[in-house]
Amino acid sequence: MGAAAYLSWLVVAMIGIAIFQIARRVLLWRRGRPAEVAWLAGLAALPRRYLVDVHHVVNRDRGASRMHVPVAGGLVAACVLSLAGLIPALTGSRPLWGLVFAGFSAMLIGAGLVTARRYPHKLPRLSAGRYQRLPVLLLAFAAGGAFTAGLTSIGDPLPPLSILTLFVAALGGIGLALEVARGPMRHALAGAFHLVAHPRPDRFGDGRDTALRTIDLDAPKLGVETPVDFPWNRLLGFDACVQCGRCEAACPAFAVGQPLSPKHLIADLARAQSGGDAPAYGGAPYPNARSVGGTGGPDRPIIGENAVIHPDTLWSCTTCRACVEECPMMIEHVDAIIDLRRFQTLELGAVPAKAVDPLDNLRGCDEQNGQPLAARADFAAGMGVPVIRDIGEADILLWLGQGAYDLRYQRTLRALIRLLQMADVDFAILGDEERDCGDLARRLGDEATFQRLALDNIAVLSGYRFKRILTADPHALHVLRNEYQGHGGHYEVIHHAALIAELLESGQLSVGARQDLSVTYHDPCYLGRYNGEFDAPRAVLDWIGVERREMTRSGRRAMCCGGGGGAPVTDIPGDTRIPDLRMAQAKDTDASIVAVACPGCTAMLEGVVGEVPEVRDVAELVLQAVEAGRVAAQPAAGSPPQRVTA
Amino acid sequence: MRVVVLLSAGRHPVSGRAILPPLEAQAIAMALALDPHCYGLHAGCTPDGVADAPGYGLPSLDLLTIDADVDPVPALAADLSKRKPDLIVAGRRGQGGNDTGLLPYALAEALHLPLLNDIVSAAQEDSDGMGRFEQALPKGAKRRVTMLLPAIVTVHPLAPAAAPFAYAKARRGTIEFREGPSGEAAPGLFETRSRRARPKLMRQADAESDGGGAAIIDPDPDDAARMIVDYLERLGVRRLRNEASRTTDHRD
Repeated sequence: MGAAAYLSWLVVAMIGIAIFQIARRVLLWRRGRPAEVAWLAGLAALPRRYLVDVHHVVNRDRGASRMHVPVAGGLVAACVLSLAGLIPALTGSRPLWGLVFAGFSAMLIGAGLVTARRYPHKLPRLSAGRYQRLPVLLLAFAAGGAFTAGLTSIGDPLPPLSILTLFVAALGGIGLALEVARGPMRHALAGAFHLVAHPRPDRFGDGRDTALRTIDLDAPKLGVETPVDFPWNRLLGFDACVQCGRCEAACPAFAVGQPLSPKHLIADLARAQSGGDAPAYGGAPYPNARSVGGTGGPDRPIIGENAVIHPDTLWSCTTCRACVEECPMMIEHVDAIIDLRRFQTLELGAVPAKAVDPLDNLRGCDEQNGQPLAARADFAAGMGVPVIRDIGEADILLWLGQGAYDLRYQRTLRALIRLLQMADVDFAILGDEERDCGDLARRLGDEATFQRLALDNIAVLSGYRFKRILTADPHALHVLRNEYQGHGGHYEVIHHAALIAELLESGQLSVGARQDLSVTYHDPCYLGRYNGEFDAPRAVLDWIGVERREMTRSGRRAMCCGGGGGAPVTDIPGDTRIPDLRMAQAKDTDASIVAVACPGCTAMLEGVVGEVPEVRDVAELVLQAVEAGRVAAQPAAGSPPQRVTA
Repeated sequence: MRVVVLLSAGRHPVSGRAILPPLEAQAIAMALALDPHCYGLHAGCTPDGVADAPGYGLPSLDLLTIDADVDPVPALAADLSKRKPDLIVAGRRGQGGNDTGLLPYALAEALHLPLLNDIVSAAQEDSDGMGRFEQALPKGAKRRVTMLLPAIVTVHPLAPAAAPFAYAKARRGTIEFREGPSGEAAPGLFETRSRRARPKLMRQADAESDGGGAAIIDPDPDDAARMIVDYLERLGVRRLRNEASRTTDHRD
């Protein structure tokens, strides 16, 4: 029997230390609010969630998956096989130690790759501080273990050397186990628990779960003030963070110098749980960080100038979910932000100054800019759009949304209405019975106003018969489709690009010759990431025969225009503006047109000055193509082509 | 210093929904700065609208229940003369509900208190019960006024912004209902009359249509246009063509 037998006991000791360390965090999590967790289903789903869902995200950065698979796989394999060495019959088995050697070797390769990511220069999005020790510990454990097991498997020719390598392995191994409470290794255990007890189990596999959770407005405290106000499995989620910084790299607010970094925010929430004894944060600071004076603690406020996180950080978020999409640990950043905003808005009334008027207007007259509901359809005067109150039922109910008050977006809505009329679609609008859908109120944390608007809208909708709701506003689409369900509103909601695709495919609309345009499509967050609709707008663009170019960040990983989550209302200053950045990305494709499909994106991108691509909604482009088709179809009898109206 | 805020049941200018007038939310912020234990006072039949006041930070709210058509001034005067606040803060004009904007003046008369209108800031003098105020004047001018308390002041929109509304504070706020005196109906200060007499033309039109017009369903557009022109000429809205040209000749 060689030194390798002690490897088994080393692993036992490491497990003991890790359990002790994580237990300290478990005690903190247990102070959180209760949460319903389907334990058995979660445990059963764990392997699939880890090996498929997590790996899918990790693998987007090939370097990361090439590093993580050997280092984590090697670590687990080597430890499990070493434990097998405790079985007396196997203790002296040379083949077993050969296998252990293979495990440690794999881990050693991975550890080398971890080291390459941090030395001599770490990737900018990674955290320094405690995290810089990780490669050293991994290398020591992997190398020590590999040599010890390897020497044993060939008969332990040099016992003193074996003792030495065992010692190195022990230093590395114990160091890693100690890191489980506060350091990088916490992600391994907390991450596994998080996958089991995830607050949104439906998001795994092919599922999607992006609707904000409703809250009971009669609860003693609304929203989250202190760490213990979070449900316990959300606290667990914050601890799962490994500070890889992918969220930070994807965050539009971080990119333009607003004081938000999702990674820093989650690290702060994890640090706030334990208060003063948390290690310092080693990542990039919040851009243009506002100073905060407080230390956290389980029962101490999180948000405030004298707390852990500055309010400007909280209000910089556009709720675009880019961070959630990128997070390999499946952390739900946006949920945390909304919970924190709810407390600020509902309990303290501490909303940014510019958000006061819109919220007052939504409470007072159901429209964020204080305009009468009866004026919503003014833009369509003379187009002969029926109001559903007059006809009682229609195939399609057209939800006009906030864009109907915006001069620019009215052009899009008129184009959409003309397309519907050309295709003989049976549709109607709600007229003055359409209230704001409540998206803005909810993202700004005013859940009370959201719930009132939702119930009022649901009451109105229940009075009419229609098959589907059509909207050109992805925010309204998301709220109507997913968030009214919590209040008893179940509707089939379709985005205008999807309906136009249907009309083109069924031949109800026909387009003319190929359009000589180069177009790049900007995915709205609330249509794409929130609702998984990436294809219909692209199919429409292909159908009308424009040359379609993709921006570097498109589809699931598209960058936000800066218009969501109430960010245009709260207007937290940064170095530049999010739409400027996005427009620069569009310009890089050399396309002459940015195709949009959302009133928010239209307004934000139209606001970019300078020589930039033209902003056109998908509906406008289709109308242009359809009209071109009609002109071409007319007999060319020397008379100038006329615009054909429906 | 004991401060009371007079609250009125306003109406939202767009939706007509009962709300607390924004100016009175500013009045609450001003009162809170002077007296953290200030309270609100409203005389009316329901708490609609004023129930929002705790959401703007008002610590407590008393509602004197009176019938809908009863003049609130005696009820408020009786209550205020009993509780003797140092400062009474009110809005400056009617905000769309049953308020006239005259109440602070009527109350000042009833209580024999001085009234200072349109203040933008208020502070208490350290000595002997004086209040120091800033009054907004036209064209952005301001005047500093020091006066002996108790007094009534009305708040100008240029006063510091109100605290944002907080739903949970409004929900926790309690309203103390107290029976107000069952006074007489509000005196009819004004005669109700439509804004202007109906134009002569319309009266004529009415008289004409009494004779019974003809409804023509789905006419030819040219016929319809001719009929409308004839009709307008008959009414005198449009002068006959030859008449019109004659007038022009005269001018030449």
